[in-house]
Amino acid sequence: MSFFESHWVLTVLLLLPLAGAVACLFAGKDEAKHVALVTSIAAFLLSLPLFWVFREGTPAIQNYVSIPWIGQWGIAYTVGVDGISLLMVLLTTFIMPMAILGSYSYIKRQEPTYYAMLLLLMTAMIGVFIALDMFLFFLFWELMLIPMYFIIGVWGGERRIYAAIKFFLFTAVGSLLMLVAIVTLVYLYYRQYGVVTFAYNDLVELPVTRSAQFWLFSAFALAFAIKVPLFPVHTWLPDAHVEAPTAGSVILAGVLLKMGTYGFLRFAMPFFAYAATSDVVVYTILTLSLIGIVYGAWVAAVQPDAKKLVAYTSVAHLGFVMLGLFALTSESIQGGILQMVNHGISTGALFLLIGMLYERRHTRLIEDFGGIAKVMPFFAFAFVVVALSSIGLPGTNGFVGEFLILIGTFRTHPVAAVIAATGVVFAAAYMLPMVQRVLYGPVEDEENRELTDIGLRERIVLLPALAMIVLIGVYPGPFLEKTSASVDALLQQIEMRASQAPLEPLGTDVRFDHMPILGVDED
Amino acid sequence: MRQAYIGIAILLVVGLLNAGLFLALSHLASVRRPTKVKASAYESGIDPLGDTRDRFSVKFYMVAILFIVFDIETIFFFPWASIFRELGLPGLIAMSVFVLVLGVGLAYEWKKGALEWE
Amino acid sequence: MILDFSSSLHIVWALLPEIVVAVTGLVVLMLDVFQRGSRSAPSAPWVGPLAITGLVGAVLANAWLLTLEVPAQNAQIAVDGFRIAMNFIVLGVAIFGLLYSFDWLNREGQFTGEFIFLVLMAVVGMMLLGGTRDLIVLFVAIELMSISVYVLTGYDRRSRRSAEAALKYFLMGAFASGFLLYGIALIFGSVGSTNLSLVTSEIALGTASNNPMLFAGVALLLVGFAFKVSAVPFHMWTPDAYEGAPTPVTGFMAAGVKAAGFAAIVRFITIELAPAAEFWEGIIWWLAMLTMIVPNLAALAQDDVKRMLAYSSIAHAGYLLVGVAADSPLGRSATLFYLAVYAAMTLGSFAIVYLVAGKGDVRSKLSDFRGLGWRRPLLGAAFVVFLLSLAGFPPTGGFIGKLYLLSAAVESGESVLAITLVLTSLISYYYYLRVIWKMYFEEAPESLPTPERPGLAFGFAASIGALALLVAGLFPGHGLRTASRAGEDLVPRAAVVAPGAAPSARPSGQDPAASRASSNVSEPER
Repeated sequence: MSFFESHWVLTVLLLLPLAGAVACLFAGKDEAKHVALVTSIAAFLLSLPLFWVFREGTPAIQNYVSIPWIGQWGIAYTVGVDGISLLMVLLTTFIMPMAILGSYSYIKRQEPTYYAMLLLLMTAMIGVFIALDMFLFFLFWELMLIPMYFIIGVWGGERRIYAAIKFFLFTAVGSLLMLVAIVTLVYLYYRQYGVVTFAYNDLVELPVTRSAQFWLFSAFALAFAIKVPLFPVHTWLPDAHVEAPTAGSVILAGVLLKMGTYGFLRFAMPFFAYAATSDVVVYTILTLSLIGIVYGAWVAAVQPDAKKLVAYTSVAHLGFVMLGLFALTSESIQGGILQMVNHGISTGALFLLIGMLYERRHTRLIEDFGGIAKVMPFFAFAFVVVALSSIGLPGTNGFVGEFLILIGTFRTHPVAAVIAATGVVFAAAYMLPMVQRVLYGPVEDEENRELTDIGLRERIVLLPALAMIVLIGVYPGPFLEKTSASVDALLQQIEMRASQAPLEPLGTDVRFDHMPILGVDED
Repeated sequence: MRQAYIGIAILLVVGLLNAGLFLALSHLASVRRPTKVKASAYESGIDPLGDTRDRFSVKFYMVAILFIVFDIETIFFFPWASIFRELGLPGLIAMSVFVLVLGVGLAYEWKKGALEWE
Repeated sequence: MILDFSSSLHIVWALLPEIVVAVTGLVVLMLDVFQRGSRSAPSAPWVGPLAITGLVGAVLANAWLLTLEVPAQNAQIAVDGFRIAMNFIVLGVAIFGLLYSFDWLNREGQFTGEFIFLVLMAVVGMMLLGGTRDLIVLFVAIELMSISVYVLTGYDRRSRRSAEAALKYFLMGAFASGFLLYGIALIFGSVGSTNLSLVTSEIALGTASNNPMLFAGVALLLVGFAFKVSAVPFHMWTPDAYEGAPTPVTGFMAAGVKAAGFAAIVRFITIELAPAAEFWEGIIWWLAMLTMIVPNLAALAQDDVKRMLAYSSIAHAGYLLVGVAADSPLGRSATLFYLAVYAAMTLGSFAIVYLVAGKGDVRSKLSDFRGLGWRRPLLGAAFVVFLLSLAGFPPTGGFIGKLYLLSAAVESGESVLAITLVLTSLISYYYYLRVIWKMYFEEAPESLPTPERPGLAFGFAASIGALALLVAGLFPGHGLRTASRAGEDLVPRAAVVAPGAAPSARPSGQDPAASRASSNVSEPER
């Protein structure tokens, strides 16, 4: 088994940024960013072969390993990727070098700590996507909060402290209740089979009674919905996005939000299939997603601050993703996953572009700009491409994702699909005026006349994103093939489990009332 | 059973009579010439009326603590002495340890100068 | 070696760790006073290492206890895994507490043998408290511990706050001792013995439910303990006493006194008084509930870090009470594990507070922590670890501890307590994070002096403490194994509940006779 087929590639992917973070702390003020960039590029190059080594057409978990870790609690270091997590891991490693290179001139104090935090965040994010043990998953899920708290709080804007604490507490509310649900799940498994385990593969097989499913699903769903963010719990997002430094926003939009949707797909839906496919849950989530799409678009349209505008588009885009997931068709889920990737790339690029403007003018207000295209032609080109991708123009990646979601949704929930389609129109209604007011028209402000076009470093930052926008836009096949088997298997699994969900606890003839943690174990 | 208490009862009665007798005698036989000082209440040299938050010299506390140390020692020694034989060597060792700890306390007070009045 | 208490020497062996500590204390006091006399100059510097050596000796003696074979357990002192584990925790608190306190004592010019002597005497009390099985010894132990700590609270003679705190603590503590003593008297009155093995079997045989005197005794005993571990509503003294006491003493009493108090609760209430479970179950449940909710809300309003940490330590008593309320071997193991973790993080936090506060303990406001993380990076990093662990955030020991408590609560069907545990932890995130944001997100003004560089002993203790918390968070296997063994190993030896028993059956932890008799004790209604 070669390196890239074994778990080692994943393990090294976890450890490499961690080592880089330590190195950053010891590196000098000026060297830290280079250390971080080299580390992240190395991680990207390391993860890239996975795209080809990955065997398509099978839902099996690949690069799998399970090494006992905390024996008496049945916790193991279990990692592996299937098609869905593969794309997420690649998205993470793809975005990180961009975010780091994009911070080169933006961050001017405490650089070593900053880059160490970014790399720590990278480990945590990769960990979330590859963990197949609930304890390990939760560990990374929570670990991700700390560096992000620091990134927003130390290097953020005016109201950074408010934004940081809001981000932290919102996420923590959900995750702590999820922790209770995880422990309950482990306990129920123990009651059923007499084994204590946190392993995903075991827990997913547990028949949970229908009534319990709703409680446990709610706990998981709250954690993930806050992260996505779904409509009523999205309020942390505009604050966090606006106050975070550019790289923070890029990572937030690019990767962190996907943890929510990924969590639904990987954990909440298969664990509690009956609850997840029940009418009440499906209709609730579809409604909230639709509200998110329309509301996000409308609110975005009136934002004077370009960064805040982009932040609200995230609410709309992630609404699309959630719609796709809970329409429960193969196309819509695949479209949802692809849209997760798309949103990561195009919104990440948008934040980078706005960050570049901000570095030059120290304002993000749309009205302060105008006619930028004349003074910054390359910038304008990139901005237009990314904006069109965000709208979902055919030929860009956004189109493929949204189209698949709409087709899939139409099959099961036609009304929802129609309402969502209006969201695409609204997207044009907020994005295009913004582009027009920033880039075109006469140059009114004298300061804008002095602006220099983006330099080589900034072009290098943007180029990969532009390339991916077009590549996925015209040739999405390889990406969809990665996920199709996993998605089909997932759907089958969900259907089967939903129909088999018991009304009463099973196998009550043998009861294990006390966990064997108590017994002195052998090892 | 009841006979066992008769001795105590006699002791009690004799004691009470004795005390009463002497009080009565002193009352009857004494010569009284009251003055103001003699008539005032006398409480260990301290004015019986006045603010309760009076300051005492810390030396009094030192003496009081020393007293408690040896008071407790007596309380412990007495029952031990009464079953000295039954407890045997272990009892002796235990008691020695007890005295040793008290000795440490005494030595500490002594070196700290708590035994010197001035 | 077999320890069967056939000769009186066996009592010495059983008490060896306590004896080592006590002798060290007396030696320290004597050497110090004979060298220094009545001068008020600081003691010779070798006094500290001498005490640490003695404590390490006690640790070794304690480890030696593990090798003993103890067939029968009817002495006044238990020789079981639980006591040995508690001894390790208390001795660890003492060693680390002393290491942390040297810097403070030198800075304030108050390095004396008396301080060390008092700490060692308190430790003897704590160790006895976790190990005794007799109500009289219990009382002596609790007084030995408490009186030493009262004096330590007022140790800073020049400080009014310290004196006030000592007096307050003393009055409330004496009050609590009164409750305790009265409870002991009532239990003695209704059962006829102070020896707990007799008490237990007597209660198990009798009909406990219609014995109001016993009920009152158990309740009063519990009140006394609740004072010591500062459970709401018996926590009123805690913030003032903790705030006024010299900061290293605060850390020592927050960690040590609480650990010892919980040891006593676990042994006396949940084990020895298990047949009277109907009396205390409801009380413990409500104590846990209130002790989690009230201080967490109160801590939100504090702008003094020391006082905030005082409230936080009350809140942790609430989390620990969840483990007690679970009333299962798992719950007891979780309590033990959490106590060890809690001791490490609390000691470290208070130590850092005094370092920042500067001479005279003057700067402990939140705003005095501004920019600390950038000015003293290592100190800041250690504090972040301690705070995150207090908040119960992975990957620290605090998280594993809370997970442990949580699983104990879920296993015992105490889902309300479990959910309260996580929701109150969530509240606590806010005030712990607030310290972190002061340390990193705000700039220190020029006028704020940079905290002094800590000494070698402090640095050693803080780095070991922080690393231990991280190791406990990432590789807790060994600690969990130890805790689960110790939580199970309480005399009278735990009897295994046969599989197939109804889920509502009381967990093991009683002797067979007791569990038979207690099977007619019904679950309390909530």
